[in-house]
Amino acid sequence: MGVEFRRRDYGAEERACSLPRRRADTHPLSAHSPSALKVKESDCRKDDFVDPLRATDGIMEEAADNMLHEDIDSEATTPSDISAQLRIRKEWSSFKKILMQRFPVSKTTPVSVVSGVLVKGNKGELDDSKIFDEEDVKVVSQQEYLSKLQELKDEINQSWLRDDRVTSLRLSIKVARLLMDASVIQFYPTLFVLATDIMDMLGDRVWARIKQKAEITEEGGFIYALPDNFKAGDVCFDAKETCNNWLSKVGSVRELLPRIYLELAILPCWRFLHNHPENNLQRLVMMVRGIADPVASAYCRLYLVQCAQRLPQYDTGFLITCINDLKVLLMRLTQARDAMDGNLSGNSKLLLTLIEPTIEYIMRCLFKDRKQMEISNILVALGMGRDPSTLFQNCSCISIFLHYILKELPIAFTCFNAMEILHLIECTDDSSFDQCLNFKLLGHRLCERVPEVSSVHLLVDKITQVLSCYDKLDAYLMVADGYLEIILENQLATCVNVILGGIFERLMEEKIGENELMILQSIFLKLLAHFANIEDILALNHFLDILDMLHGSSRNSVNMHLLSMAIREGHIQDPTVIEVLLEVAQVLYDGLDFSNMRKDDYQHPARVISHFVFMVDYGMEVESHLRFLAQCRGAFASISELQEMLVHSSNKLAVRALRDGSNSISFVKSCLAFNEVTVPAIPSVIRQFKLYLETAEVAILGGFISHLDGLINAAINCLQSVDSVDGVQTTEDVEGIISLICKLCGMLVMVPGSLEQGAACIPKRVLSFLDSRSWVFPRLKTKVLCMVVFLSAALSQNQFLYHAISGKVIGNYQLFYGVRSYHQELLSFSGGVLQEIVNIVMQEPSMAVRGKMALEACNCVASSFKMSDEPLEACSKLVEIAKSCSPAGDKFLQSTLKFLNARQFLV
Amino acid sequence: MSIEIKLSRFNRTYRPDEPLEGKIITKLNSAISHQFIRLTVNGAVNLQVRGGTAGVIESLYGVIKPIPIVKKVVDIRSSGKIGSGTTEIPFSVVLKDSKEENLEKFYETFHGGNVSIQYLMTVDVVRGYLHKPLSTTMEFIVESEKDNLPQKPISPEMVFFYITQDTQRHTLLTELKSGGFRVTGKVCTQCSLLDPIGGELTVEASAVPIQSIDIHLIRVESILIGEKIATESSLIQTTQIADGDVCRGMTLPIYIILPRLLTCPTIFAGPFSVEFKVSIVITFSSDLSKKHSKADPNATKPWMAMESVPLELVYEFKIFKDAGLSDPSSISHREAPNRSEIFRTCTCVKH
Repeated sequence: MGVEFRRRDYGAEERACSLPRRRADTHPLSAHSPSALKVKESDCRKDDFVDPLRATDGIMEEAADNMLHEDIDSEATTPSDISAQLRIRKEWSSFKKILMQRFPVSKTTPVSVVSGVLVKGNKGELDDSKIFDEEDVKVVSQQEYLSKLQELKDEINQSWLRDDRVTSLRLSIKVARLLMDASVIQFYPTLFVLATDIMDMLGDRVWARIKQKAEITEEGGFIYALPDNFKAGDVCFDAKETCNNWLSKVGSVRELLPRIYLELAILPCWRFLHNHPENNLQRLVMMVRGIADPVASAYCRLYLVQCAQRLPQYDTGFLITCINDLKVLLMRLTQARDAMDGNLSGNSKLLLTLIEPTIEYIMRCLFKDRKQMEISNILVALGMGRDPSTLFQNCSCISIFLHYILKELPIAFTCFNAMEILHLIECTDDSSFDQCLNFKLLGHRLCERVPEVSSVHLLVDKITQVLSCYDKLDAYLMVADGYLEIILENQLATCVNVILGGIFERLMEEKIGENELMILQSIFLKLLAHFANIEDILALNHFLDILDMLHGSSRNSVNMHLLSMAIREGHIQDPTVIEVLLEVAQVLYDGLDFSNMRKDDYQHPARVISHFVFMVDYGMEVESHLRFLAQCRGAFASISELQEMLVHSSNKLAVRALRDGSNSISFVKSCLAFNEVTVPAIPSVIRQFKLYLETAEVAILGGFISHLDGLINAAINCLQSVDSVDGVQTTEDVEGIISLICKLCGMLVMVPGSLEQGAACIPKRVLSFLDSRSWVFPRLKTKVLCMVVFLSAALSQNQFLYHAISGKVIGNYQLFYGVRSYHQELLSFSGGVLQEIVNIVMQEPSMAVRGKMALEACNCVASSFKMSDEPLEACSKLVEIAKSCSPAGDKFLQSTLKFLNARQFLV
Repeated sequence: MSIEIKLSRFNRTYRPDEPLEGKIITKLNSAISHQFIRLTVNGAVNLQVRGGTAGVIESLYGVIKPIPIVKKVVDIRSSGKIGSGTTEIPFSVVLKDSKEENLEKFYETFHGGNVSIQYLMTVDVVRGYLHKPLSTTMEFIVESEKDNLPQKPISPEMVFFYITQDTQRHTLLTELKSGGFRVTGKVCTQCSLLDPIGGELTVEASAVPIQSIDIHLIRVESILIGEKIATESSLIQTTQIADGDVCRGMTLPIYIILPRLLTCPTIFAGPFSVEFKVSIVITFSSDLSKKHSKADPNATKPWMAMESVPLELVYEFKIFKDAGLSDPSSISHREAPNRSEIFRTCTCVKH
């Protein structure tokens, strides 16, 4: 007989090979050096890097200080002055862009044009004051109108370049006159933007001309370079005369509105005459009062405020007059409508939306960079005293103004005066703006800095009062949403319950629209973000009832957050919570459409659901847990990830039950049965293989031989279908399969064999798998072959290296003790494998890998077999190969040779 | 061959007591000889009657004999030669010679409808009988002497006005009469030529919507013809201060920059006078007004209400405080002798 397995004494070998052991004081993986970490952190602090998102007040203040300094500097130095002007221009042009987008040019509504205004070559006199006849009115499309306007602009430019400045001015007056017609009001913003473009252009040109006159004489002599912060005294007489000329030419325009626009266009030119050009602003604001058309006058004020910013300085007085005038105008507008039907008619609504941007812009200018004291004064000047007692008496604010004031007020101011502002909103309820939007805005503003809000309890009481008056769901939701954070931050749980109750009540009566859904979602997310504990949330009044009424993406989003939150907290043990969450997960799952959605869209929810299932823990109630798993298997059939996890969980349960001991047999059996059913449903065969092995391990642990045989059989079957199902394999997959096979081999040591099937039945099936799959590299094949040799050697020992913990599994050495045929079979099988190894090693194309493989095989042969002819021959062949492939000094080669020598394999 | 006058000031504006300085510029192809170069300064009030309140016969006369103000003839060069190319010949003439008696007061330059006060200078290069003399004429502008100005800035005098359906002398629309309206305010009645006309206006009530409120600036020129005075009013500027039905109770500013060429200081001379008026004209929106839009703008119409107040314009030497241009010492501290002539105290406060 050629081959024979070497007898092993595992105990003696272990004793010979193991290193002396000592106890360690600390675990190598424990974070034992907290001091080092700290040092790092403090280093970070020292860095110059400032996180722009980190709102440390210190930095903010510093920035504000810097800005202040800049402001002061700008008086003295010019560059920042210029950049400020550039910034204002930039802001203005972006504002204009937004305005145009908000009110786009309509293709259908035509505009009537007074002919002669846009028709070329009408050489009327400058002070052409004749009233146009009705027959002259022509109707053109808006596009046509705009292109005419563009032509006019070009013409103004050209005549200026021809030094025909009178024509330029005349045409500009024509353009300004166009703004008098606000009959097609949707078109007015566009017209305004284009016309003011032309005005600005003219203004710039006039400025440049006068400046040039002040710097260079007519003969070309250089007088004086005007600094950017020049005074009127620096300007020579001629330049002043020219400036006066322009002003009086503009002043001679008969119509009010064009006259104002033109004066505004050349407003900065006042600097050539006076050191305080801003003194004209008050007069101009009052002049605008003469324009009765609400839209035209609002836009005129807008241009006025914009032009004022081009002056080096100005005070707020004119802005306040401006706003108060607008207020009178709007009150007139809304009162007239209120008297009619209590609600704004369509046209007035449109008027308001058109006027709204102007209010927004003017308010922004008014509140820009104001200090606390100034703001109080401004509010008083706007008719909104801070003292609540006076507030009730002369509350003369209108809601649309209040809205934009709220938007612009600094948060610190708002928080400090929260109650007063709330009162103000309460008594300002007119048709110009929805009151609940103002409540909502205040809430949102306050939420930005909740800790600074003064008299929170009063505030919340007031808000609950206000809320109780809203019958409509959307208003209720909006306001509630606005203040929710404040309420939550201040731990006012009863209040939250009241609000939820209110929402529920109104939900019962109304259908939920898209908008309401969004707000409800926001409310739910705020609640979820605030409460740390899922039980607290579920304990909230009507939480689940309201949740049930949600649908669509809002519901999914809330569900996702709810589940994520539950997961974050760790194991979920409360059965009622589990029940609720399972329902939530089911709804979420039902909302997913696996066939039509992109993978990215459903992957995250699927993961969250799987994670939730994983985190559920019934503790000692293993049976309930398994029931739960079974329920999940049915409920989430399409999430393969989750199915895998169910197997893991059930295995975990089985192991726990086994550890706990008493009467667990039937339970473990049901776990195994559960897995036997679950695994085949998983699409990937490799994963099935893996899970079968895992379950088989549990079966060994529990000593369930019949299950074990079935599982291993199923695993091998899986292996055989690998190629057919999964197609071409990636390298990682192949490596994975091979290592799983190695694991299987290791396990087989413990699995009792059967004589009917033959001792080497399973290894044979594995090898046949290897042979039939061309995509398994020679390197991996040798690995498996070595493994099989090791397995056979181990099985033929009289004592095994390891065995199943459970005493119920009888080891093969006991089972087949003295059965010659069994050992014979193993030996003959191994002999065949030995030949195979040598052949396969030869097939490896890479020299280095081949050498290594040969050495590994040598080690395997030398440690498994007794010295005899056949192994010796194989070994010497392998050594030959290794020597030819690896350098002589190779350490692996050296140590292998040494080992072979010790085993007397070296000839 | 050309000749031109270039004055030392680009706005060609001088006061009578200032020397009129400049250059005569000749551009010649070849040198010429001349007998003398003569500069003539001529100032006169030209009067003319066109319809208006003058009778038919007076209007037939047309131009009335002008009233001379100044006539000066100065020989700048005696006989000599002017070379080819560009030659500049400087000159300086004093308009008002304190020693000689002037024909008239130096009125400010003014171009009106019936009255025109004009100052011209003519340069003649006389070249004997065989050659045509080279000559050119240029207008220059005379403004009031500093001596005649008030030493301190005049404070604008305001007159209060109120306009209701009852203050109107013409027939009003019935709805205006019955509904009623009330517009109040104040306006400047004495104003420096360099300042805007100031004032304010408030629509207190109006049952009929307002279409427009305009301020008319009216010039009144009167000429003495024999025993009669021919007076003509002309609208020289209209300025709108309210467009549409403005809010009630809001104060609107009146701010009117005077047209430079169409105004002058108010003049009361023996044979003629130039005065100004301000009218506040309220136009109410009415169907009638649309139909008659082409009618004469000066005529009173039943959908309009108006009020006129006289306006005295004064020349004030503007001190550019900011500009630092003026030399404060140049403003005379002497008592202005003619002050009472210029000022006519306005007491036409109406109630």
